[in-house]
Amino acid sequence: MAETAARGETAADPRFRFLSSIIGRPVRGPGGARLGMLTDLVVATGEPYPLVESLVLKGPAGRQSYPWTSVENFDDGGLTLKADAVGSTPPEQPLADRIPLVEEILDKQIVDVHDAKLVRVNDLHFLELKGQLRVAHVDVGFRGLVRRMGWEPLVDRTVRLVRPKAPYLKADQLVSWKLVQPLDQSAGKVRLEVAQRLLATLHPADLAEIMEDLDRDQRTVLLERLDVETAADALEEIEPEMTAQLLEGVAPERAADILEEMAPDEAADVLSELPGDTRVEVLAAMEKPEAREVEALLAYPHDRAGGLMTPDRIQLAPESTVGDAKAELRRRDEEIPFLYEFFVVDGGGRLLGICTLRDLVLNEPATRLGAIMHEPPATIQVDDRLEDVANAAAKYNLLSVPVVSPEGVLLGIVTVDDILAEVLDAR
Amino acid sequence: MPAEQQAPPVPTQRANLWRSFMIFLAVVGPGIITANVDNDAGGITTYSLAGAQYGNKLLWTLIPITIALVVVQEMSARMGVVTGKGLADLIRENYGVKVTFWIMMALLVADVGNTVAEFSGAAASLQIFGVPPWLSVPLVALAVWLLVLKGTYRSVEKVFLVACLFYVAYPVSAFLAGPDWPVVLKATVTPTFEFDGSYVAMLVGVIGTTIAPWMQFYLQSAVVEKGIKPEHYAHSRFDVIVGCIITDVVAFFIIVACAATLFKAGVKVETADQAAMALAPLAGVHASWLFAFGLFNASFFAATILPLATAYYVCEAFGWESGIDKKWEQAPQFYWLYTGIVMVGAGIVLIPNLPLLQIMLISQIANGMLLPFILVFMLLLINKEKLMGAYRNGPIFNAIAWMTTGIMIVLTAWLVVIGVRDLLA
Repeated sequence: MAETAARGETAADPRFRFLSSIIGRPVRGPGGARLGMLTDLVVATGEPYPLVESLVLKGPAGRQSYPWTSVENFDDGGLTLKADAVGSTPPEQPLADRIPLVEEILDKQIVDVHDAKLVRVNDLHFLELKGQLRVAHVDVGFRGLVRRMGWEPLVDRTVRLVRPKAPYLKADQLVSWKLVQPLDQSAGKVRLEVAQRLLATLHPADLAEIMEDLDRDQRTVLLERLDVETAADALEEIEPEMTAQLLEGVAPERAADILEEMAPDEAADVLSELPGDTRVEVLAAMEKPEAREVEALLAYPHDRAGGLMTPDRIQLAPESTVGDAKAELRRRDEEIPFLYEFFVVDGGGRLLGICTLRDLVLNEPATRLGAIMHEPPATIQVDDRLEDVANAAAKYNLLSVPVVSPEGVLLGIVTVDDILAEVLDAR
Repeated sequence: MPAEQQAPPVPTQRANLWRSFMIFLAVVGPGIITANVDNDAGGITTYSLAGAQYGNKLLWTLIPITIALVVVQEMSARMGVVTGKGLADLIRENYGVKVTFWIMMALLVADVGNTVAEFSGAAASLQIFGVPPWLSVPLVALAVWLLVLKGTYRSVEKVFLVACLFYVAYPVSAFLAGPDWPVVLKATVTPTFEFDGSYVAMLVGVIGTTIAPWMQFYLQSAVVEKGIKPEHYAHSRFDVIVGCIITDVVAFFIIVACAATLFKAGVKVETADQAAMALAPLAGVHASWLFAFGLFNASFFAATILPLATAYYVCEAFGWESGIDKKWEQAPQFYWLYTGIVMVGAGIVLIPNLPLLQIMLISQIANGMLLPFILVFMLLLINKEKLMGAYRNGPIFNAIAWMTTGIMIVLTAWLVVIGVRDLLA
């Protein structure tokens, strides 16, 4: 969140401190003997604003870790440790639920879950309370970069001279730690409750955009942080090639769970991009009905009506009433996201006509569908091209174009969002 | 439809071969595209001038340069495949803001220089057709800017690549000119060296244009974008090596053709018209047209890629939003950087009576001088165990890469010393 902390307040208030103002400063023993240089601060996660638990310094004897409780005092000049401070060798890999801030957060990309975008951490902002440090914000703004260069006083003076009212002087771009989701290495695997909950509330299209901007490993980390439904919604918005690459990196069972949640036509597109052996594995791990549905779609080329269509639709007999249709709509609302047209079929599944949502609203519940249905449009068959499908949608004002077999049996529908996506892609 | 789905049964071995070939096709590209952008206006001009001024004397450098190029480019591709991150990203994450700032400044200077070279190339080639620079440069700049921002670039990339077949003109011309091949081949394997400033400058230019600093960033990002996995790395490496060899084979024939024509005739090349005469054995009176066509394609191709790529790396390093799918307000730094590089590049070429060919050569010398800074950080990164694991450099790669870095530093220092001496004299 580009929360604008009033700059004057922050600077004057000694209780706030930037990571860049203490990192690299000398660490001294009680007698003033120099032990080394501060290289990292390690926080314990689990709280919304995590506490700095230990510090890492680099001295003549290599890297040493000290608990934060052994700090006597600290200021911009450096840190002084207590007499009884005992150092230890820091672990090769950070311990569970511990984040070394310099190593894993500073300069890395994170997801700002409030603004739904990817940002780079230029600095960290601490709250200092009774000698303890808590991470409050990450700085993702230009001023953070200037501060890291060590040019803040100079640039501030110049800007004040040239343009005293520049927004640069008033605002730091600080994102609350609560709204941050790290993505790299071990830090990405740490559970951050608030951020994770918010992540699931992002619009799938925003999440998809973040995903596309990430690099390969970060994408995998982010995917692991999402629940199956959120992941499926976001992945539907991404190019099938990229989704396939991503799913190759996760266990076949999880890939199968995600694909089951996706619309069958999208899932089929993704599966067709997977290498043969992985595809077989994932299909085997999917629930039988879903797998069969997707397999049927896989038989059609991607750019033909058969490859574009989804089997998800509502079809009813001509004797059914408007009330029946509404009941069916309520029953299947969860499972079919795109529902504006209803298909009337005979006992053999042959398409007789179409009713729209508007027909249902305008007619009495007892009216029979056979009496209000419209002529089915020019029939689209599985091997018709994208242009034919798009033309049918445009000509007959359809939000979903029915696809039928040569005998006229309704096989599935192509929805207008998929048509649009394909047409835009083909341009 | 079922008919298309049922592939005829293939014997396993053929299926394996087929699969390998398909994987190769899928990952082919970044290396070969980079190689073709590498032979840009600066490249063609530098090699032409090297051949015209020194005859076959610089040919021997191509073998060590090729080895160094393969080593450096292979490192970029390997880092991209293993870490899944771009070079700018890795430098920022591992060395912090200060180092990143200076590296990006160096890259920006080198790339503005290269962009100047591309616009000079476009101006020089259109001059052959009688279009004056004050008209051609703004038009080309506008065309480049629109082509990229309207997102139509992808669709014309292949046209550029096909037009790169123009380079075939040089080997043909070289053969038709009938150089003394035993002498040429002997010159290719016999190192010679001269200690004067202009020779060293030409040497740095030839190295700098072949192993240009932007290439490592470009190749690594391209590899990352393709999402190539470590399992498929062998194919990617093949692509990179083929690309590097293509670059230097083209360089070899440009130098030979220019040596056999321009150097032999004692022409002191100052304009593109004169450089075009290297193609006279092939194209006769049409040589300048052929040359102008090739130079224009190379210039335009690189002018669309370089400023855009540079804007991407800088934004990647500093965490600013980037991408031509974003709106101007969403990614202002990205668009201003891109626009700025195009405008500065084109603006410099608009200065009246500029010696276009000399400008192109100077920009390539600047490339060479900035290269070691980037190589040092690449080498530090690729030897990090945490980052690369088992894919770290072996001793031979390290030796070659460090040697290249060392040689470039020595040559650059030499140039600076000579430059200062000449200034004082």
